[in-house]
Amino acid sequence: MQNPYIPYPVVVDKIITEVDTKDIKTFRFKFVNPEDEQKYAYIPGQFGELSIYGKGESPIGIASSPTQKGYVEFTVQKAGVVTSALHEMEEGEMMGIRGPLGNSWPLQFLEGKNIVIVGGGFAFTTLRSLINYMLHEDNRKRFGNITVIYGARNPGLLLYKDELTEWGKRTDLNLNVTVDKGDATWKGREGFVPAVCKEVAPSKENAVAVICGPPVMIRFTLPVFFELGFSKENIITSLEMRMKCGIGKCGRCNVGSKYVCKDGPVFSLAELDKLTPEY
Amino acid sequence: MEKRLIKKDTLAGIAKKMAGDFLVWAPVKKEDNVLFEPMGKDGEPFFAYLNSKNAPKNVFFPHTETLMKYTRTPKGMVFSSEVNRADQSVLFGVRPCDAHSFVLLDKLFDQEKYKDAYYIEKRKSTTVIALACVKPPYATCFCTSVDGEPVSADGADILLTDIGGDYLVEFITKKGEKLASYFGDAKADAAADARKAEIAAQAKAAVTSKIPAHEVKPILDVNFDNPFWNTIHGKCLACGTCTYMCPTCHCFDISDEVKGADGIRLRSWDSCMFPLFTKETSGHNPRPSQKERWRQRTMHKFKYYVDMFGAISCVGCGRCVMSCPVNIDIRKVVEDISKL
Repeated sequence: MQNPYIPYPVVVDKIITEVDTKDIKTFRFKFVNPEDEQKYAYIPGQFGELSIYGKGESPIGIASSPTQKGYVEFTVQKAGVVTSALHEMEEGEMMGIRGPLGNSWPLQFLEGKNIVIVGGGFAFTTLRSLINYMLHEDNRKRFGNITVIYGARNPGLLLYKDELTEWGKRTDLNLNVTVDKGDATWKGREGFVPAVCKEVAPSKENAVAVICGPPVMIRFTLPVFFELGFSKENIITSLEMRMKCGIGKCGRCNVGSKYVCKDGPVFSLAELDKLTPEY
Repeated sequence: MEKRLIKKDTLAGIAKKMAGDFLVWAPVKKEDNVLFEPMGKDGEPFFAYLNSKNAPKNVFFPHTETLMKYTRTPKGMVFSSEVNRADQSVLFGVRPCDAHSFVLLDKLFDQEKYKDAYYIEKRKSTTVIALACVKPPYATCFCTSVDGEPVSADGADILLTDIGGDYLVEFITKKGEKLASYFGDAKADAAADARKAEIAAQAKAAVTSKIPAHEVKPILDVNFDNPFWNTIHGKCLACGTCTYMCPTCHCFDISDEVKGADGIRLRSWDSCMFPLFTKETSGHNPRPSQKERWRQRTMHKFKYYVDMFGAISCVGCGRCVMSCPVNIDIRKVVEDISKL
């Protein structure tokens, strides 16, 4: 019986500082025991517990796609005890990861549909996993049109800048990157995510919107999609709650009768409507 | 399953004999309280007790438990070992309400997908001997409202019932039968059975405190936003005693402790009554006041657990009622909900 509390040992293989403020970094981990990579087979939208012995654990969405072999990536903002310790780590150091945990983006449901991805700020990480998964040559034909709308407060806060450039060159992806306010060098779009969604106006036909961002973005983006005619079944999002065990036992991340760690973090708006509004 | 009779005054001797062979948890007098503790060969069990001050859930789910050990290396702290999780044990003389709580905790810790090895291994290696309540011990007992009975083998491997001069010993499970040799060889007759049935019926009738526990589920389903929730928590001190004493409360925290080059990761009981329980790093707290925390505790026991596992997460032991320093009474809360 695999003990779900024991992390897989990993080495910090690569650290990428994502933003100008330097408080968001992407950590690439390699498994110390190569066979653990198989055991850690994950689906975009799942998360892991980053485990630093002596400090604790922090639940973080998986930012890489399962199509990226040989490693797993997490993009982490420096905030509390564990994430601060993580930001102090150097390449070559050892730590642990638990998981993969939670449900995932509903890949089977998304298959054959047009996909609209809406992300804001730092919440783009598991959306990036989904985008890279869908864009992979083995998977691309399983999905219809892909539209991405991604916004950050300013250009320096955009994550995955190299990847955004690459995606921008593709013809099989409609990429719309926006910032609330540009700077001297910014040549792209300016404007808040909800306004850009309105402008891009993705069709509701055979479409699913996957939306992830800060509460204020969600609040103003949802009405846009309702106006475009998207049903609550076809709007998918991901919740965050304080977590410890990640396996539905420690009792703190429930929303009504569902544990966000185990039954979520991904829910459709229709599902969320059935839960208590306590998150 | 087999049934035997033992003389009442031989019970302590049986527990002591077992304590020579296993780790035996038994009710032990400690100052003014009775607690379940490992009694040791020279310990003196106290079976004439009403109920233990604390629920015996700590036998399977200790207050604090080491999950794993780790050690410092030049490349950082690395995992060093798991811990020994269970010894062959006997939990001797628990009340039926507390034995019932194990059945409820099993549903959470022993799920199909995520198995909690620490709990499960202790549970598997422990034989539960229940001691029936031939008289309900307290006026606050309400087991019959929450699927329990004062004379019940639910959750027990062996059930002992005081039928006068003797205890009727019923071996409920195979695990219980393995300890049969400790209980002499006097077979119980039909008269003993009849006497037990009579006593059980009397005991059940004597539980007079009743709550409409099953009736409130559909009411809770549609009353998350009812102003009623403003009325419970006013005097709550957020001390967490109710959750600490509760046989079915299972929430825990996971934390790390380092001493020198070595460290442990441990879990310890936590409480939904505490503000920090759900407070996020950002400062956001989905349950910002005692109102939401009381709603959570009530909902968890009488709605969420029913949704998740098909059972109410309360055994009617009344410990929270007796121990609350400001006399918040879950029986009244449930009663009030039933009138919404």
